[in-house]
Amino acid sequence: MTEKKPNTVTSQVQNRRRLGSRAALFAGFGALLILMAIICIDSLHTLGEFQTANTQIRQDFLYRERTLEQVRAGLYESGNIVRDYILIESDADAQAMLRTEFQTIHNETTATLNACIQSLPTVKREPFQHLAVELENYWSTIGPIFALSAKEKKELGNSVLRGDVLSQHAKILAITKEVRAVNNDELNEAERKTTEVFAQFRRRLLMVATIAFSSGLILAASSIMYVGRLENSLEKKYKESLQAQRELKELSKRLVDTEERERRAISRELHDEVGQSLSALLLDVENLTEMSIDDGVFRKGLQKIKTLAENCVNEVRNMALLLRPSMLDDLGLVPALEWQAREVSKRTGMLVDTLEENVSDNLPEEHKTCVYRIVQEALNNCSKHAYAKNVRVVVRQEPNHLRVSIEDDGKGFDPSRVRGLGLVGMNERVSQLGGALKVDSDPTRGTCLRVDLPLPSASSDSGELTA
Amino acid sequence: MKKLRILLADDHIVVRTGLRALLERQPNLEVVGESENGRETVELAASLGPDVVVMDVGMPILNGIEATKTIVTQRPATAVVILSMHADESYVMRALKAGARGYLLKDSAAADLISAIHAVSQNKSFFSPKVSRILAEDYVRVLKQKGAVDSYDLLTNREREILQLVAEGKANKEVATALNISPYTVETHRRHILEKLNLHNPAELILYAVRKGIIS
Repeated sequence: MTEKKPNTVTSQVQNRRRLGSRAALFAGFGALLILMAIICIDSLHTLGEFQTANTQIRQDFLYRERTLEQVRAGLYESGNIVRDYILIESDADAQAMLRTEFQTIHNETTATLNACIQSLPTVKREPFQHLAVELENYWSTIGPIFALSAKEKKELGNSVLRGDVLSQHAKILAITKEVRAVNNDELNEAERKTTEVFAQFRRRLLMVATIAFSSGLILAASSIMYVGRLENSLEKKYKESLQAQRELKELSKRLVDTEERERRAISRELHDEVGQSLSALLLDVENLTEMSIDDGVFRKGLQKIKTLAENCVNEVRNMALLLRPSMLDDLGLVPALEWQAREVSKRTGMLVDTLEENVSDNLPEEHKTCVYRIVQEALNNCSKHAYAKNVRVVVRQEPNHLRVSIEDDGKGFDPSRVRGLGLVGMNERVSQLGGALKVDSDPTRGTCLRVDLPLPSASSDSGELTA
Repeated sequence: MKKLRILLADDHIVVRTGLRALLERQPNLEVVGESENGRETVELAASLGPDVVVMDVGMPILNGIEATKTIVTQRPATAVVILSMHADESYVMRALKAGARGYLLKDSAAADLISAIHAVSQNKSFFSPKVSRILAEDYVRVLKQKGAVDSYDLLTNREREILQLVAEGKANKEVATALNISPYTVETHRRHILEKLNLHNPAELILYAVRKGIIS
């Protein structure tokens, strides 16, 4: 309990650290993803804007071009109309039509130009306004021509045409050229600006991408390091647990060995020393009884000693047998198992049947003990937990295997859920000899325990009894 | 009368001393040697040629049962009485199989040893009464638990007579003389008895007789 506390604290600290690293990684990757998303959205947005701006510029430019074109067309057309008007002398209808036509052109051109001016921002209006003023001059120069009488027309017509109209024409055309140049400049300027914006966008994109890439690199590196560290600690833990498992196995083996050794030593001691001494004592008592003169009291005393000693011998023998039956060492596995079966039958009323097939008397020591103890434990379970009426113990020796099965007709159990210490102990003994133990049981029927022990090849021959 | 020559085999000197004291008070018995392990016993039996060997089971180097086997094979004239702490069938059976004619428990050795020595020297079997009783009790208990019929009822009167004589250690010829029949007939009867009782060898037959209380 006292050792458990610091362990818990350490594991808590480790837990917290692990959680911290995990949170940092999550935050890092999250930020990286968000950054990349922002780059994407920003780029799409900027590209969209860029395209819109480009289209707008083009449209504006074309609109102004068209306006200028219309102004020029209006100029030429109005010139033609004036010339025709002056040349036509008598046809009043034609003159009226020309006048109307002129007026229409005048109005349309002025309206178009004004609309164009209105659509422009104030700073850019100046050249167009200049054009509008000149155009207005032109109209006001030409307008009066339509008011002339036929006579005046004849006198003034040509000079007006050659003089005012043509000079105005030339002037306005010059202005339209200028305006067009201005318009071109404007276009170039706008394009230069968008190019610049685009370059800026590229720089920004490059920067953000660089940041994202490098932070991604850093994140990747740190996660690799983190995973590496985890792997290392995991491997260390795994090795530690393997080591602990090995040590535990070794320990339990030694425990089992020691227990068996001690039992045998005590059993031998009881049997050989105490038992034999008591036997000798009994002989001496018998000798004394025969030698003594017929004294009733003395004989009675000797008889009492004899009875006591006999009881002692029985007691000692039973104790020794319970610890480790001497048959196992004196006679071999089969007689020991048969004795055990008889003893259990006698003690519990459960009928134990043993069947030995081809079992050699000189099995290796560990195998004898292992099988004997497993049968002992199994019979114990049969009577104590299963309340069996019949048990059948079969031991069969094959060239390289010793197979044992203990089958009862008692109350079974669910081996996947019940795992008593007895079964664990049996398993331990069996696995120490490289064997396998299988429990086949079911609450609705009895239990069958099967053990398969590999035999070292030297002991597989059916040999003779040894001391 | 010729004294019976006895060899004592036990690894515990106190037991040997007690036995020797017991036997030497008998006028017609003579302890010719003592040994403390199985091998020594076999060697002494060969060199001394005793009539009876009193043999402990648990002895170092070679145990009493193995030693019995060797001695009985080498010198059939020598009879062996086993002295043991155990009244259990497994020991008795092994001892009989090895060729011992007597089986005594150590806690009753003093009372029975003299009779046992005389019996085996006359080629008869001898068991401690306690051994007979325990074997018989075990047998009856198993019969009860199994609910089986008693196989002894299957035997004819003649077969029962022969069973008793054979179990007492008599050879076919002796049985034949006693019952005034031919030795071949005795052999046939013997085979039938073994078959009926599901026994396989003379040792099992003797054990059966002891359990049934036919001999003691």
